[in-house]
Amino acid sequence: MSKAQSNNMHVLDTAVVERRLRPIYDWLDSGNNKKALQECDKVLKKAPNLHCAKALKALTLHRMGKGSESRVILEALTNEKPTDDATLQAMTLCYREMQELEKICRLYETAVRIDPTNEELHTHLFMSYVRISDFKLQQQSAMALYKLKPKNPYYCWAVMSIILQATRGEGCRDPLKRKLLLSLAERMFDKLLTENKIDAEQEVQLYVMILDLLGKQEEVVAVLDGPLGAKLQCTNFGLVKMTYLKKMQRWKDVNLICKSILAESADRWDIWKEYIHSVFELMYQQTQTSGQENSDGGDNIVETADDTPEKAHEFICRMVESGADNGYVLRGPFLARFQLCSRMSSRGMDTNDLFGDEIELFMEYFRKFGHKPCCVSDLRIFLNLLLTPKKTELSSRLMKDVGISATSVPQSEAQMQRHICAVQLSRLCGSHRDLSPEHLKALITALTLHYQHGYQTYGRGLLSTDLAPCDPYALLAAHLLYDLAQIEQKSDAVVVALALLERLLSNSPSNFHGKLLAVRLYHCLGGGTKALEMYSSLDVKHLQLDSLGYIHCARMMTTGLFTLCTNLFDATLKFFSSNYKDSSDHLTFSYKFGSFTKLDEFMDFRERMNNSLHYATVGVDRIVLKLVECMSLDTLYSITISPKEDKIEWNCLRDNHDLGVFLSWDPESIENAPEDWQESKALFEQDVRFLRLRTSILWTMAAAVDIVKSLDGDRQRHVEALRNALDQWKALHQKTLSDNFPPIQQNLLPLPMPSRLHGSLAAPYCPVFSSFLDFFLSMMGNDSHHTMECVKCIEEELDKLTDFLRDATIKKSNDLMARRKSLELAVNCVEIISITSLICVLCGELVKPVQVKKGKKKSCDTKNKEYVFSVADKLKKEMNNFCDILQDWIDANPEDHVFNMLESLNLNSTENILEKIHYSYKIANREMQLILKTKIKLLT
Amino acid sequence: MTTLRPFTCDDMYKFNNVNLDPLTETYGLSFYMQYLAHWPEYFQVAESPSGEIMGYIMGKAEGIGDNWHGHVTALTVSPYFRRLGLAASLMNFLEEVSEKKRTYFVDLFVRVSNKVAINMYKNLGYIVYRTVLEYYSGDPDEDAYDMRKACSRDTDKKSVVPLTHPVRPEEVD
Ligand SMILES: CC(C)(COP(=O)(O)OP(=O)(O)OC[C@H]1O[C@@H](n2cnc3c(N)ncnc32)[C@H](O)[C@@H]1OP(=O)(O)O)[C@@H](O)C(=O)NCCC(=O)NCCS
Repeated sequence: MSKAQSNNMHVLDTAVVERRLRPIYDWLDSGNNKKALQECDKVLKKAPNLHCAKALKALTLHRMGKGSESRVILEALTNEKPTDDATLQAMTLCYREMQELEKICRLYETAVRIDPTNEELHTHLFMSYVRISDFKLQQQSAMALYKLKPKNPYYCWAVMSIILQATRGEGCRDPLKRKLLLSLAERMFDKLLTENKIDAEQEVQLYVMILDLLGKQEEVVAVLDGPLGAKLQCTNFGLVKMTYLKKMQRWKDVNLICKSILAESADRWDIWKEYIHSVFELMYQQTQTSGQENSDGGDNIVETADDTPEKAHEFICRMVESGADNGYVLRGPFLARFQLCSRMSSRGMDTNDLFGDEIELFMEYFRKFGHKPCCVSDLRIFLNLLLTPKKTELSSRLMKDVGISATSVPQSEAQMQRHICAVQLSRLCGSHRDLSPEHLKALITALTLHYQHGYQTYGRGLLSTDLAPCDPYALLAAHLLYDLAQIEQKSDAVVVALALLERLLSNSPSNFHGKLLAVRLYHCLGGGTKALEMYSSLDVKHLQLDSLGYIHCARMMTTGLFTLCTNLFDATLKFFSSNYKDSSDHLTFSYKFGSFTKLDEFMDFRERMNNSLHYATVGVDRIVLKLVECMSLDTLYSITISPKEDKIEWNCLRDNHDLGVFLSWDPESIENAPEDWQESKALFEQDVRFLRLRTSILWTMAAAVDIVKSLDGDRQRHVEALRNALDQWKALHQKTLSDNFPPIQQNLLPLPMPSRLHGSLAAPYCPVFSSFLDFFLSMMGNDSHHTMECVKCIEEELDKLTDFLRDATIKKSNDLMARRKSLELAVNCVEIISITSLICVLCGELVKPVQVKKGKKKSCDTKNKEYVFSVADKLKKEMNNFCDILQDWIDANPEDHVFNMLESLNLNSTENILEKIHYSYKIANREMQLILKTKIKLLT
Repeated sequence: MTTLRPFTCDDMYKFNNVNLDPLTETYGLSFYMQYLAHWPEYFQVAESPSGEIMGYIMGKAEGIGDNWHGHVTALTVSPYFRRLGLAASLMNFLEEVSEKKRTYFVDLFVRVSNKVAINMYKNLGYIVYRTVLEYYSGDPDEDAYDMRKACSRDTDKKSVVPLTHPVRPEEVD
């Protein structure tokens, strides 16, 4: 009775508490922190000791940006050793958002000590170790949990934690340790086995994982074939088994399994590949054991292993004959032939006996599947079976086969699709290379007309979400126009391509390939506002901010549209930081659901995202932008200048770009994907170097600000830091100059624009900054003569900078591609002069009289003051010059050369591309001038 | 011509060609991660011979008692690989997994305007079980069809007797 009563009391109690706290949670959820705080205070007034209310108050304060107040509460609360779930959860949330994950561990360690039989607390403790990837503590807490509640999952957590110590912890560098740990994991598992406790699929997967890591393939296969294997109901059993048979080089078994799978489903590409691979391995084994007859055979073709290309060919032919599967003609067996042929030819074997002329293989495939768009992607990887002259031959035979001449149009949608495939394949074969501009233009006209005809004939009645079947014509024409622009080294054709793409998109508003290409081409001309418009219509979000960031976000800074950059950068940075926080939760999911096979993957993915080069670059750009836009000393003091809290791991940076999102039929894409092209690798290296140079700005600026903020005693340390940072910058600058990186080629559309490195070396960042920082440093010495030299140096550098701006802009061609480059350089000049203005402001702070000083020093300070004034004057003068140059530049209107070309393609669109691009330049120009004017004001 | 394999995290870096399609939603990361952690066997990707992502299916199993069922959360095929039977084979895969898990039926939600998909599901043996009003938020909100197909465990096909009245999203569990 009494027990029930007290229980009841407790229930009542928590119910009241819960009701009181509810509004706080609601306000927090809806993001109204102010209201949440009021509510917290209200509750705390009634119940000053309510732990959970305190924890929620800390969380609220943290979210309001009041970190230190929040911390005070958290610390006090920690000392009170809370053990109730709600409080601990709230504190966990708070520490998670502060990224102080260790503190969560301490919290639950204490709680578990006080309430040692609480399963839930133990679980939280384990998960808190998961978040910080402390595998050893994970293991211990999992075992403690298992002792408390002997459930299999907890045991598996412990085993998994041991595996991770072997693969990612101490075993990762020490093979002996690794072996020891894995054997321990195995023994622990054997215990479950002998006790006959294994039940769930995930447990078997874990066992297989251990055996695999120990290299015990035989045992794995035995497990798979035994009673435990039966528990793997959802795992793709055949495939898993094959992986191990392959590792054990049991090629005959592999061959047989493949054949039996293929007999059932002849469209399985992975299995075809394994099958053909095993054929060659078997053949190799045969020659090793000197040609014994393969004598084990039944009548059933699936029962004998194939150990020669001839036998494989026969099997493939049988599969071809057995033909269609639920109405579809299967491409599998046909492509298997290509694969076999390709393997033979890469081994230098004669393929003629089996296949005859390879061209016929292609022609046959094209006749069967040319009406499907996938035909191009299917054949692409095999085109290198043909040497160049053969490729040319294939190209003309394809065109002939389609039967569309210069004067005819497709008679059916299928014929149109075949024509499109033929043109794409022929481009892959290199037939668009080395054409004269006239020839290119003729092709462009033809494709544009085909597009228009195709749209009128087969494009009606489509949903707005459909891609029209004729769209690829327009995309191809746009690619050819880009080729033309590269040959002519003029932007006209790019403008025409954009007009064509705008037309395409007004017809097929969902064609994202058209949009991507348009973003790419607008950036090629520096038309940032139009690029943004297109980009927005793609609705890029979440992880795409990383994988597609290079297309737009990474280019925006070069367009001078500072205001637009801010939003884009903030959205990107928010994605990364909040997902990094979430990613520790993902690891806990894995344990919760027992998906141990996914853990490695999750951990790698987490690192990949956090080490994204794009992330790091946007982070640095964001800070640079803040400096560029900084309008007061107070603002400058409030900016966190050190990039990513000093945590860029240079050696781990990753290129996460999805270059494959661009369609391309360049011959280069036969061999491998654009990510693997030499140019992409070169670009990555250049971009990393660019980022390093750019962070130098931040290191030096951060040190300079620290110097001004610091007191005399502490100052020397920061002075040293500045000297170091500046020396490192100069050295890096020199090294980069002598490394002499060439800009990557621009003839291939899937490749991004050239690295910003080149523009950042062309514009005199390092020299101008050095002159200012030397001057700044000289303020702290007593060598007035030296300071004067520094002033002279600044004046010279600033003169050069202005000359550079003039040369880079008004003196350059008015062609839009050239203008884009000029724009990038102009932005760089504005960056240089506006950030160095801040150094001048800092100098002003250094010479401000803080207190009355001794006579001599004072005179030096007065002198210094004068120097600072003269530098400020010089800056103002040059910034006014900048404004004049920029104004002259924007007033020089580009001429319209493209009208005729548009007319001839029937594209005199209402949408004047040129005007829109010019509008973008104007906005950029205005923004740059605005920045300069605010800096002039700041210096006055 | 397909390689069907489990979807991995890294695939999210390459699935843009499929996801930029206007009828395919790109979700927040945690959503995918939850599926990967909880129902990895239900998340499969179809890869082309050259390694492009042609399409994928994402699903789960949930419900208690005779509501234990497989659910298709996302199904999509890249525009250039459509009409090759790919979606059909992905659905087939999901149904097989559901059979192994002994579910009673498989269900999914689809925009009432998505004629292509509805038609496809019908061809694959799904029926419109009920209409869910304003299930998709947007401008304007759009109704969804809740479509179902019975599994072999549901011998009496009780799960696929269509409701006569539409329901509100709150009424759907
Ligand atoms: C719906 C979708 C997944 C179909 O993919 P798919 O691989 O082309 O479909 P399949 O080739 O397997 O088609 C199977 C059957 O569905 C029907 N079908 C598919 N697409 C069709 C279309 N465009 N028109 C008419 N019927 C169609 C056909 O009956 C087809 O069989 P058939 O080719 O033998 O006639 C694909 O169009 C898509 O990704 N759409 C965008 C995303 C989406 O809408 N997802 C569904 C959300 S619930």
